[in-house]
Amino acid sequence: MATQVAPPRLADAPITRRLDNGLVVYAASARHAPVATIWVWYHVGGRNEVPGTTGMSHFLEHMLFKGTPAHPKGDLDRLLARYGALWNAFTNEDVTCYFETVPKERLPVALELEADRMRNALVSLEEVEAERTVIVSEREGLENDPSFLLGEELQAVAFSRHPYGQGVIGSKDDIKLMTRDGLYAHYRRFYAPSNAYVVVVGDDEDEALLEHAAAAFGPLEAGEPAPAVRSPEPPQHGEKRLVVRRAGGALPLVQVGFKAPAATDPAAPALQALAAALAGVSGGAQEAASGRSSRLYRALVTSGLATEVDASFGLNKDPYLFWIEATLRPDGDHAAVERRILEETDRMARELVPDEEFARVRRQLLAGSAYPSDTVTGRAYRLGQLLATGAATSIAEWHERLASVTAEDVRGAAAATFVERSRTVGWFVPER
Amino acid sequence: MLATQALRVHRRRVGRLRVAVTPIPGLRSVVALLALEAGQWSEPDGRPGIARLVAQSLLRGTERHDAAGWAAALDDLGAVARMDVGSHAAILSGQALASDLPAYLALAADAVLRPALAPIELEIVRTQTIAALEEESRDTRGVADRVWRELAYPQRHPFRTRPLGDEGVVKAATADDLRAFHRREILGRGGVLVLAGGIDADEGLAAAEAAFGAWPAADTPPERRVAAAAISALQRRDEVVPDKTQTDVILGWLGLPRSDPRFVAARVTNMVFAADTFASRAGKVVRDELGLAYYIFSTVAATKGQGPWVVRMGVNPKNVETAITTTVAELRKVLTGDFPADDLALAQDKLVGELQVALESPAGIAGMILEAELFGLGDDHLARYPDQLRAVTKEEVAEMARSFLPSDRYALATAGPPLAG
Repeated sequence: MATQVAPPRLADAPITRRLDNGLVVYAASARHAPVATIWVWYHVGGRNEVPGTTGMSHFLEHMLFKGTPAHPKGDLDRLLARYGALWNAFTNEDVTCYFETVPKERLPVALELEADRMRNALVSLEEVEAERTVIVSEREGLENDPSFLLGEELQAVAFSRHPYGQGVIGSKDDIKLMTRDGLYAHYRRFYAPSNAYVVVVGDDEDEALLEHAAAAFGPLEAGEPAPAVRSPEPPQHGEKRLVVRRAGGALPLVQVGFKAPAATDPAAPALQALAAALAGVSGGAQEAASGRSSRLYRALVTSGLATEVDASFGLNKDPYLFWIEATLRPDGDHAAVERRILEETDRMARELVPDEEFARVRRQLLAGSAYPSDTVTGRAYRLGQLLATGAATSIAEWHERLASVTAEDVRGAAAATFVERSRTVGWFVPER
Repeated sequence: MLATQALRVHRRRVGRLRVAVTPIPGLRSVVALLALEAGQWSEPDGRPGIARLVAQSLLRGTERHDAAGWAAALDDLGAVARMDVGSHAAILSGQALASDLPAYLALAADAVLRPALAPIELEIVRTQTIAALEEESRDTRGVADRVWRELAYPQRHPFRTRPLGDEGVVKAATADDLRAFHRREILGRGGVLVLAGGIDADEGLAAAEAAFGAWPAADTPPERRVAAAAISALQRRDEVVPDKTQTDVILGWLGLPRSDPRFVAARVTNMVFAADTFASRAGKVVRDELGLAYYIFSTVAATKGQGPWVVRMGVNPKNVETAITTTVAELRKVLTGDFPADDLALAQDKLVGELQVALESPAGIAGMILEAELFGLGDDHLARYPDQLRAVTKEEVAEMARSFLPSDRYALATAGPPLAG
């Protein structure tokens, strides 16, 4: 019999301070390794864009690596390389995020670099032109992947009004037409202490980490409040379907996206448990050994209908999608796979998961959420992600909410989510 | 003192495993890397794909549990695990809560020592593998890798084929073939188990002993003999993959064994040349200055024999020739020593700094220890390694490039839309 999953220790609860300029800093101590990590989260992503400027937040993310007056282009790259830093940035539907994990003695430098580019990025015309081809190349790399092509189409069909339908990287035409002035205006509008927060985790007392961050970001001017997003998605009144036929893929795909609530919804933890019950917590790759006791794995992969299956409920600011994706055998039958997926989702909505199976799901969910917190970078990312979407104010709080999910909560979440009128079904059909 | 030099590694021989445990106080979980020396290098001559079929089949039922029972027992723990087969090893990477480590290792040992290798489960693995091969045939990165290997390695070389293997071999393999490979290469050869995380050394060693102590008797097979290979001229093949927008490019050479004393210099040379999109010369010019590619990086394989030493990039078809020419021009600067001394210092700083940053995660620590154990680099490897990296000179970098990365003799594969001209 497995032991209980211990809740996160008190040290996982961050201390927090709102600076005079509006920036909120969260700090937590992690003493197992001589490193520190800083994550800066901006409340801007695909949901803040309108047609014609899709991909602007992501394009801007690239431009933040092109220098400031104090740190010309190349400075940041070389400094962080010298420290052996783990560093990167990403943009999603809700946020743009920058992070560096460095030897702990380098934390002040990383903080200073981030504070500097929060307000002083150059975004020059010359660099915009040079980077445009890089971003087009990034998009073209994604277009080579059938799962991306189908997912992008499905997202566009599922959302009629909300900008989530536009995705994140933007259309190739919009990327090609993006102007320097438009990018710079986007930067000045959204990159300010009042529209951001900082998470610092590392090998020091939490108070000391917080003071370091406050010293770096405190002198910045607050900036204007960012405009709110007001494009609620109207209710969906029937199933939507799409088919993508391309020669670029060999294996058929079935994707199903059910409209699902925002991260702040009380059902969010139960929806994560539902995804774990359907497909485990570690993704559906062939090489993965975990998650094979899940409902969809047994129904699709063990039965030979598909080679891989995954299900996910992501944490988002606004209502988004509960995704299911199956990769079929080369001669696979889309209709049969779709039918089995919907049989399983219907069953989840009708019947309680039996106790033994529910204990297994709960265990996977709690242990799976504990593992990332055993790295300094993972702990900061997890905390920042929960804060970004309003899901919870600490990892410990989220753990408690996951731990308190019941089988009836899961059934209820499935019944509310897995309904015909709110789903979008996509097939990828390879052409010879 | 660097933190890597302070790492405490506790070692013991258990069955045919060399076990290494590093406690990391304060963590709730343990990462377990089990490397079985049964990768491509161990495949029978002319049977590429057998190693992966066996490795994947290990996780599909044992003499004690059927496949569903073993999977449910793993999920009961909430443990995560995956099996990947590479050039020299099949690696079962797992993570479990520290309190569950004995139970997780018992399941892993059951799979590795007493697999059922049942025909019905082999059919599932076979179906998945054939689907993956089919998928790779339309994937530009997969096609470029396949073509590059065919250009770079002679017939019957263990690295000529990707770990997925040859479709004919996969279709023809029987359960008896798998059992024979398992007995000879896995039970006979053994491997390395590294544990890193929230356990103390005695607990970790005791759990390993309990799980793997009763290793079945098996003869040690002879080491595979592989003749030295060479790329004697520039070899190029452009493969069209329909309905794609980007071209994937692989340009590369044959590397050197991880156990070769020059491998440390090779790693530094790789970093100076192209390892990092931002810190290395090729990436800086191809991506940052000319905007030709979203990604460009190089890797030198840490393996047995002559593993791939390759540069990979994703490029719009119209920019392919410029990107290749530019990369080779940067290489020429490296092999003639025509680069600033600071490029070498930057490469060394980065490689040494990464060792400290890797300490943030149990997987990072376990990975460093695994490399040292697997290739017999010595118990004091982690203590010596930062100084070895720092000791590499500019002349050695240029010499490594001249010896291993000649700018007129390499294999070049592209895969994507038709190229202009």
